[in-house]
Amino acid sequence: MAETAENIQVLICTGTGGLASGAQSVIDAFEAEFEKQGLEAKVGKRCDVKKTGCRGLCANDVLVDVILPGQEAVTYDFVTPELVPQIVEDHMVGNEPVPKKVAGPYYAKFLEKQQRIIFSRCGTIDAESIDDFIAHNGFTGIKKAVTMAPEEVIEEVKRSGLRGRGGGGFPTGVKWSFCKATPGEHKYLICNADEGDPGAFMDRSILEGDPYGVIEGMMIAAYAIGCDFGYVYCRAEYPLALKRLQLAIDTCYEKGLLGKNCMGLGFDFDMRIKAGAGAFVCGEETALMASIEGERGMSRPRPPFPAVRGLWGKPTNINNVETFANVSYIFYNGADWFNSIGTEGTKGTKIFALTGKVKHTGLVEVPAGTTMKEVIYDVCGGILNNRKFKAVQAGGPSGGCLPAEALDAEVDYDSLIKAGAMMGSGGLVVMDETTCMVDIARFFLNFTRVESCGKCIPCRIGLKIMLEILERITQGQGREGDIELLEDMAYDIKKSSLCGLGQTAPNPVLSTIRYFRHEYETHIKEQECPSHSCKPLLHFKVIEEKCKKCGLCPKVCPVDCIAWEKGQVAVIDRDKCTECTSCYDACRFMAIE
Amino acid sequence: MVNLTIDGQQVTVSKTATIYEAAKEIGINIPVLCYAKKLMPYGACRFCLVQVEQMKGRLIPACTTPVSEGMVVTTTSEEIEKVRKTAMEFLLVNHVLDCPVCDKGGECDLQDLAYEFGSIKNRFEGEKFDLPTDEVNPLIERNMNRCVLCGRCVRVCDEVVGYGSYSFINRGFETKIATAYDRGLNCEFCGQCVSLCPVGAILPRPFKFKARPWQIREVDSVCGYCGNGCTVTLGVKDNKVETIRFNDAIGVNDGNLCIRGRFGYSYVNHEDRLTRPLVRKDGTLVEVDWEEALQVAADGLGKASKAQGVGILSGARLTNEELFLLKQVAETLGTDHLDHSGGECYKGVTEGLQETLGVSASTATFPQIETADVILAIRSDFYETHPVVGMVVNQAIRRNEAQLYIVADKKGKLNKLPRAKTLLNPPGLELDVLNAMCKALLDSGQAKTEGIADLESFKAAMGAFAPEQVAERTGVDADAIRTAAVQLAEADNSVILLAYGLPYQALSKELATAAANLALLAGIPGQAGSGLYLCGEKANSQGAIDLGILPQGDGLGAQPMLSAAAEGKLDALYIVAEDPLSSYPNRDKVAKALEAVPFLVVQDLFLSPTAEQADVVFPAASFAEKEGTFTNAERRIQRVRPGITSPGEARSDAAILTALANQLGSRLTYTGPAALFAEIGKQVPTYGAFNFDEIGPQGVVWGGEILQPLQRKLVAVGGGSTVTGDFKLVTGSALYHSGTVSTRAKGPLAVLPEAYLELCREDAAELKVEEGDLVKVTGNGTALQLKVKVGNRLPKGVVFAPYHFAEARVNQLYQGEAVVAVKVAK
Repeated sequence: MAETAENIQVLICTGTGGLASGAQSVIDAFEAEFEKQGLEAKVGKRCDVKKTGCRGLCANDVLVDVILPGQEAVTYDFVTPELVPQIVEDHMVGNEPVPKKVAGPYYAKFLEKQQRIIFSRCGTIDAESIDDFIAHNGFTGIKKAVTMAPEEVIEEVKRSGLRGRGGGGFPTGVKWSFCKATPGEHKYLICNADEGDPGAFMDRSILEGDPYGVIEGMMIAAYAIGCDFGYVYCRAEYPLALKRLQLAIDTCYEKGLLGKNCMGLGFDFDMRIKAGAGAFVCGEETALMASIEGERGMSRPRPPFPAVRGLWGKPTNINNVETFANVSYIFYNGADWFNSIGTEGTKGTKIFALTGKVKHTGLVEVPAGTTMKEVIYDVCGGILNNRKFKAVQAGGPSGGCLPAEALDAEVDYDSLIKAGAMMGSGGLVVMDETTCMVDIARFFLNFTRVESCGKCIPCRIGLKIMLEILERITQGQGREGDIELLEDMAYDIKKSSLCGLGQTAPNPVLSTIRYFRHEYETHIKEQECPSHSCKPLLHFKVIEEKCKKCGLCPKVCPVDCIAWEKGQVAVIDRDKCTECTSCYDACRFMAIE
Repeated sequence: MVNLTIDGQQVTVSKTATIYEAAKEIGINIPVLCYAKKLMPYGACRFCLVQVEQMKGRLIPACTTPVSEGMVVTTTSEEIEKVRKTAMEFLLVNHVLDCPVCDKGGECDLQDLAYEFGSIKNRFEGEKFDLPTDEVNPLIERNMNRCVLCGRCVRVCDEVVGYGSYSFINRGFETKIATAYDRGLNCEFCGQCVSLCPVGAILPRPFKFKARPWQIREVDSVCGYCGNGCTVTLGVKDNKVETIRFNDAIGVNDGNLCIRGRFGYSYVNHEDRLTRPLVRKDGTLVEVDWEEALQVAADGLGKASKAQGVGILSGARLTNEELFLLKQVAETLGTDHLDHSGGECYKGVTEGLQETLGVSASTATFPQIETADVILAIRSDFYETHPVVGMVVNQAIRRNEAQLYIVADKKGKLNKLPRAKTLLNPPGLELDVLNAMCKALLDSGQAKTEGIADLESFKAAMGAFAPEQVAERTGVDADAIRTAAVQLAEADNSVILLAYGLPYQALSKELATAAANLALLAGIPGQAGSGLYLCGEKANSQGAIDLGILPQGDGLGAQPMLSAAAEGKLDALYIVAEDPLSSYPNRDKVAKALEAVPFLVVQDLFLSPTAEQADVVFPAASFAEKEGTFTNAERRIQRVRPGITSPGEARSDAAILTALANQLGSRLTYTGPAALFAEIGKQVPTYGAFNFDEIGPQGVVWGGEILQPLQRKLVAVGGGSTVTGDFKLVTGSALYHSGTVSTRAKGPLAVLPEAYLELCREDAAELKVEEGDLVKVTGNGTALQLKVKVGNRLPKGVVFAPYHFAEARVNQLYQGEAVVAVKVAK
């Protein structure tokens, strides 16, 4: 972090990831150590511990930056309270970073290809401090916006080329102009923070690390469109985000930044949080509005579009958290600056949440146009355990799986759709050779089938039948014609479903069939799972060539049916085997099939 | 208007129309399952998907998508048919397909669509649903194994009825429609969900295994209960009304029905129906033939008419044509003592309107209520007496964000509607609140006073009704009074609703006058989109007023008639379609009158408590057995049609009246309803504008959609008064019943079999009584035993008893006053 300061600063990640790894005890340890050592007196400078938001590399938490005056930040990873006295002693007093504990070169590489704009405050400022926010450009965007006419603000957003970060990629400025054009005394602004894709958590990180930035983006939108009330619809499973955002909203009200005549800027804007009850479908805008209204979260037909008749029947504009965060930066730095980043069709940066079999799981922010390969290999260090890459699932349950051949696809709305996936909200699940693609399709279908609101027939019943077909394939009961049947019904479900959930739910099936049809065929025709992942298709046989004779499998076998002697290949007695898969899970060499 | 092309045909429709509606207009039927005309667009079943050239690449739901200029729509193509068929296959995978024993078989939308699509094969497989059926209540059966989750029941119960019995529960494939906590259905049993269910998932239990749909003959008629005049379709098999169906295609009130209309028909088939005339011989009523009965009646009435005279009381079950004949009989008998049940209630209201506005009927029609901005309902019982108009109020609130105010002494269904504000006053003081609203309007300068007569004297008279003063007397918030009044005047479309019936007799004229004053000051009468509504209790209350079934000249009205009879000053009473002993206030007085009058003729469906006292009883026909017209509370004249013939020798009132008149020496001949209607037209000019045969499914509205007042005059009325005492008893209608007839109908009886005394939880706790306990209610010198019903509708110190049940004798306590002081003890 290129951050310098007058005082000694210790920046500790207190996002959900950091806290889960023990950030609070590290903070306590630092504070105790400062006191114990009388550090401030000793070095003659103030020493601050700053609780920042997430900086992306959640897998290596707790991450701590130590910034000495006039020096660049030094990052430590995997910090524990036990390590704290040494850091204080050696680094802060002795000005000598603790060599083996400093994050390795991977950390610089992790940051190298990223362009952290939206995340620039996450991990550097105290997420709960409005003063810190103001010290980092905070509220300069809205102040600049109100010097322009609302129409000019919308024009500026249009010129920036910003497209909705929720997944659809609709041009934000155009969306705003629709709502602006609808006559109406009251208009609503909604920030969609119902991030429900498995493995995606960028919106959570933004809300936890830079809540004021989102509020500012919403204020700009409210001013431009003429909305007098804003909701942030955030899932209740994000307690920390809710807490920090609520704190930020309360502080804004205390300081007169929200409410009547915001900041004295001449417009009224009220805001509140609506905590969702944990339904994936409520991320769909019409279901989201139904939920705010206190109705069951079920999609409604469009038209009328929210911009015409939305929440409580009033014109409503809905954007995603990341979109609003982008808006603030567009007004800090100008539309031209924003427009200069990215590709022809996609401007600015995009945040991705990487999970799965990748070395550095976490959040990365890269300019549009970066390739998938760069994201996975350069930024995130490649595949875990040096296994072979098989596919990356982009766009959550609505997206698709891209194989190695498609890894040169750029991070760009249009290129990803061309490749058979979609940008989605930005979840990337990386899969290696041990992942069965039929099983992955089944996993996502299982998710959408349960999360369907049940309103329209294709989604409610169709997905369940698709899932049942996938289940029988993964159990070795697949039939000739199942692949064609899946493709055919997937087409009809996509065509006929009411909302985005159903219209995209078959995508994981279609994209896996497109790129990994052979895996399906092997399941059906040979009752084999090429990745040895579908447990009902395992033979519980040791592959002699692969067995390293390590003797681990007999140790884990609960029924003692594996014979092994030192230096010998293990043998499973199928008569006694209960097919519990303990041996399969334990084997590090994939020697059991 | 918007022009578009559908399957190559040009069509021009209103810009609010959907593609589905536009297609329907030119005879193109797009398949639908979840669509229902009166519900908001929903788009769940996806059968209506079509292609629109301007929206290429997607399939567009026709039933939710509004038309736009130049649209080019294709309603069938290979692609469209394929997705429709797939959706049908999906539906049929888990549906139980027990069509042979399903009552819906033959008129099931799912069956029809599957047949239309030719869905004979299914590529998919799955388990059949196996959910328990809900048969807890006696009226509505729910079999969720047949449910297609179209949500029509959920939506109608919410959007139209405003009850909210149903909701979707669970997610994904496990989604189903359930009641709160997934218990048995327990609601107001209007059966709107039955009407709207496209499959056999929600069925009327009384109709189970009674007939196949194609064996049913459908006859559109008018509901015989309240003044709403809803179209009911009689489902007739073997000369028996087996069910009531709805008609939302062309019927009045959009096919909406309440429990009475939907399930209250069975009295028509009741085994206790009178089938032969009865004449009292040696103290007992014995069956005789018509000739003898008519002879005895004519002799008795003729003799009486020559002595102290005959009084005639009629009920509003009679058609306009029959009321006309009744008037002829009165003329033949030379009596001026003529009145109808309206004399006890509705007449007063119309008189109040007559004095102020110069008209005696609602100034607008029901559809206007749906687009109102502000609605004022006087007395919360409005929903209980006129449920279907209550549903329109709910629609106005949900679709048009109307603001509802209620001036009432208790809460009810209306108070639970969104944004409803209640000005809760002690019983008997509604007048004061209405006057205060007038005063508030005058003070605010918002009153519309142009062209209004007697303004100054009215202003002076309202001096005593400053909101603060009234607030002190009534406990109603002064600001709430002001806000309600001002909103009513400011809104473009404002509506005032006033319902009346037998149990609301007191101060009826004064309340109507006060309501009319307020309406005038708020600029409501004659204003398009606004209206003052007087809703009579009975199906033809308005007809009776229009035809002048009222005391002629110096003749006696209903109450004076009964008093005169009790004092021995009348020699005969002829009571047609009324049971005053059961339903009129002051039962003791009625009993005395019936006992004292030397000769009593009763014409009814049943041997009612009143008929039991008679010297001659004529068996009459129910609404399902006769032809003619009813005029509902919005002045809509509608055709009543016979579905069945009367049991035994029972005759229509028209036939009886003609025969009696002839027996009395008149040369009256019954020439059929059309000719009689034309005769009416000669005497009642507003009816003269119409020809009987031209009265279509929607009826005809005399005076036009907006009835212009003939004058605009403010008439000051004083305040009301309440009583002191342990408890204040008010009586009125229960939602499930109408008058006394419904107490012979199985449906309403199944839900509410007997009278009760309703009180609030706090009072119940103080009295140490629980639901179902018997309590002694003492007042007006009499004591009754009633079962306790505990609810949250009533304020502390107010108790309520419905008046429908003859055996409960509530009308012994209630003697026509607005509120009765009573004691309640365990």
